Amino acid sequence: MLIKTLLILLALIGLAVPIAASLGWLGLILQWTDSPMPLHRAISDMAWQTSTDFLLVAIPMFVMMGEILLRAGITEKMYDGIVKWLGWLPGGLMHSNIGSSALFAATSGSSVATAATIGTVAVPQIKKRGYNESLFLGTVAAGGTLGILIPPSINLILYGLLTNTSVPELYLAGFIPGFLLALLFMATVVVACIVKPEWGGEKLLYTWGERLRALPSLVPPLGIFVVVVGSIYAGWATPTEAAALGVVASMILATVNGKMSIDMMRQAIEGTMRTTAMIMLIIIAAVFLNFVLSIIGLTQALTDFVTGLGWTPMQTMLMIVAVLILIGCFMETLSMLLTMAPLITPIVVALGFDPVWFGILLMVLLETALITPPIGINLYVVQGIRKAGPMIDVIKGALPFVLTMFVMLGLLLAFPQLALWLPSLFY
Amino acid sequence: MLDRLLNSTRKVSLWLTWAGGTLIVLSAFLVTLEVLLRKFFNISLGGADEISGYAFGVATTLAFSYALFERAHIRVDALLGTFPKALRPIINFFGLVMLIGFALVVVVMVWSMVSDTLENGSRSITPMRVPLAIPQIPWLIGWMLFVFSGVLIGLVAIQRYLSGDENGVQELIGVKSLDEQIQDETV
Repeated sequence: MLIKTLLILLALIGLAVPIAASLGWLGLILQWTDSPMPLHRAISDMAWQTSTDFLLVAIPMFVMMGEILLRAGITEKMYDGIVKWLGWLPGGLMHSNIGSSALFAATSGSSVATAATIGTVAVPQIKKRGYNESLFLGTVAAGGTLGILIPPSINLILYGLLTNTSVPELYLAGFIPGFLLALLFMATVVVACIVKPEWGGEKLLYTWGERLRALPSLVPPLGIFVVVVGSIYAGWATPTEAAALGVVASMILATVNGKMSIDMMRQAIEGTMRTTAMIMLIIIAAVFLNFVLSIIGLTQALTDFVTGLGWTPMQTMLMIVAVLILIGCFMETLSMLLTMAPLITPIVVALGFDPVWFGILLMVLLETALITPPIGINLYVVQGIRKAGPMIDVIKGALPFVLTMFVMLGLLLAFPQLALWLPSLFY
Repeated sequence: MLDRLLNSTRKVSLWLTWAGGTLIVLSAFLVTLEVLLRKFFNISLGGADEISGYAFGVATTLAFSYALFERAHIRVDALLGTFPKALRPIINFFGLVMLIGFALVVVVMVWSMVSDTLENGSRSITPMRVPLAIPQIPWLIGWMLFVFSGVLIGLVAIQRYLSGDENGVQELIGVKSLDEQIQDETV
């Protein structure tokens, strides 16, 4: 049953059948072959419950917040502001790439949007300031992955939904590892530029006066972040309510910056609904598939199989991490999250690991998947913005950051408290 | 004839998407109001979560068709490049058939659920006791429009394929290129 399921899934996905249809058909086929009951009759009820679930209302809201902020005219000023604060470090602008990605990702949630937006601002600077092109492109690709982990992350909401884990708890857990990873990326750049000073380009020194004058440009993104994440952490708002606050706050910001117009909102709505429709169709199919998998006992069979191998929990965990890194090389991240989380989390919990901690670990694995060849969407996005030169430059430049992510995975495995300490103060 | 029907359907999908998106914006304001009133005046409007849930459901299915026209439903194209070029339109068509086939199964089930709702006059089990037909009918329309658009796109794709218009087929059912994706996600 396990092998059959895997083969059907691989065949459908390999034939480029849309992910939603692949998951949905897998569910339908398995219920015909393995279940005595007509499980497909439950599909309408599940679709209705899922598509009106208040928790998931956070998805269109967060997407819309990002779409509006993208058009609110804050990115370039934010980038320049961060340059003034971080430009003195060995590696200059590369730190701004990471810093502004972290800040932008915190409010956007789309890694493609982050890499594309920061990339557009940053890439013209490579030649102008004499950076090592490869490493510079790597910082853009890697920085763009941070959005998955730093709250408010849509991926954490999806993980919470599929594994019955509390989203506010996940948001608390993602905070420290998210910013730690951004710092580790910056440390990677510093180390690289100390070893090879010629990679670091021109150092940019600014006076404290210039720095202080740049602060107002950082206020809008930080302000939105504080409104959204702060209201959750303070217990004022649920994640969905915080997302609604974020939409309203970003509309106010766009109005203040003189960017608000019917046309701008129309574009923001189109972008939002395109993404929301795509995500929700996959979620509806995934919820149905998980229902079928648990009814026919496959989830349990998989858990029994893995726990029956007689490995220690840590050995099993290392194996899971290795397999997920491998899958991440070939699979797109959203599909990977929606297929893997419901299958693997029960195993992990049966082994005695914390599901909140595993959620964070999984997010770092998804981030890795975004920049591992051959299928790492951020690599292609960065290459797409650069337009010229061989792809291998970007892959090579991203490699140090893949290693940094492995270090992060190791840290999470060795010190689960990195993720669990902050939630433990609240729960 | 088919082409004209396709274009009008695309327009209708876009209008419904705008309408649904507007519902989401309004929900954002409603929920914000609820949070502020609760925090600062200790008053609850009640039902903001339920209403925005319905708005979300309706907006989502109304946008399915638009997302299909935009080729936004994710496909993993890692292997697609390895197939001979002549086979690719066939594989793209197969992907569409599978997507619409699955949606058709859902539509049949949803149809019978909504008929039950109408027959029984079902209401939500919340203090608001919303007649469920109000959100469920537009929600069902979204699913039906999705299947309708899919069939139409399939027919036009066959027509274009037979007349040798490869780019036209790609525009309808191909996987989006990277440049198109970047264009979608930036300003």
